Amino acid sequence: MTLTVSTKIARAVATTGDVLRRAAEPAWLRVLALASVAGMAPAAETPPVTHTVVMRATSYAPLALTMKLGDMVVWRNEDPFPHTATAAGVFDSKSIAAGASWKYRPEAAGEYAYICTFHPNMKGTLKVE
Amino acid sequence: MNLLRVLFAATLIVSSAGVAAQAPSDAQIASIVVVANQVDIDAGHLAESKASAAEVKAFGKQMVTDHTGVNKQAVALAKKLGVVPEDNPTSQSLKKGGEENLESLKTLKGAAFDKAYIDHEVAYHQQVLDAIDKTLIPSAKNAELKALLVSVRPAFVGHLEHAKQIQADLGKK
Repeated sequence: MTLTVSTKIARAVATTGDVLRRAAEPAWLRVLALASVAGMAPAAETPPVTHTVVMRATSYAPLALTMKLGDMVVWRNEDPFPHTATAAGVFDSKSIAAGASWKYRPEAAGEYAYICTFHPNMKGTLKVE
Repeated sequence: MNLLRVLFAATLIVSSAGVAAQAPSDAQIASIVVVANQVDIDAGHLAESKASAAEVKAFGKQMVTDHTGVNKQAVALAKKLGVVPEDNPTSQSLKKGGEENLESLKTLKGAAFDKAYIDHEVAYHQQVLDAIDKTLIPSAKNAELKALLVSVRPAFVGHLEHAKQIQADLGKK
C-alpha cells in the first residue's frame, strides 16, 4: 500500500519534471524543430521591440540607439522642463512636457541625427536597421 | 551701453560670490538658485509680451517654462532637506541686476528690445554658468543639492547656445 502510493508520487514527480523541462526548453529550439520538420530555414524574425530613450539632465540616454525597422522608440522626459526629439524633415516630437513621453515607429531604415530644438546642445542618434 | 551694464552687474555677481560668500552655505546656494531662476522668469515674461521677432518671443516663453520647472524642483528639494533659502550678497545682487535689466528693457521697443533682451540673456546665462562652475557646485555640501546643480547645468548651456543662435539671426536682419 505504502509502496504503491510512493510509486505513484514518484511517477507524478517524473511527469511534472518532464513538463518543466519542456517548458524550460528555449523557444529557438522549438522553432528549429518545427523548421526542420517543415524542411525550412530557421525563422530569424524577432517580434517588434519597444526601446526607451530617457531625457535627463538635458541629455538623451542612450545617446545612440540602434533598432530594427518595425520597432518602436519611446522618449521619456524625466527633466523638470520640456524637450523635443527632432530630426529635421524626418520626425519631430514637438514639445514633450516634463514627465511626458512620445512614441515613434520609424518608417525607413537609416541613421538619423536628432536634437532638442529648445536645447541645441542636446544631441542623439537613431540608427534603424 | 546696456551690454556694459550687464557685464558690470555680472562681474559684481561673480566677485561677490567669490569674495563676500567665498563658500556659500547650502541655504545661501538655495537662495541664489531660486533668485537666479526668478530673474530669468521675469525677463522671459516681459519678452513674451514685448518681443517682436517670433523666435525671441518663443525663447522668452521657454525661459519662463524651463526656469519655473527648475525652481519647482529646487524648492521641493530645499523643503525635503529642511533647508530655508537664506538671502546673501550674491542673491541680492542678482535680484538688483534683474530689476535694472527689466527697467531698461521696458523703455525699448521692437528690434531694439529684441536685441537688448537677447544680448542680456547671452551674458546672463554665461555668468550664471560661471557661478555654477566656480562657486555653487564646488561649495554645495549636500549631495542632492550638488546633484541638482549638476543636472540642470546642461540646460543652461543649451539656453546659452540657443540665445547665441538667435543673437546671430538677429544680427543678419
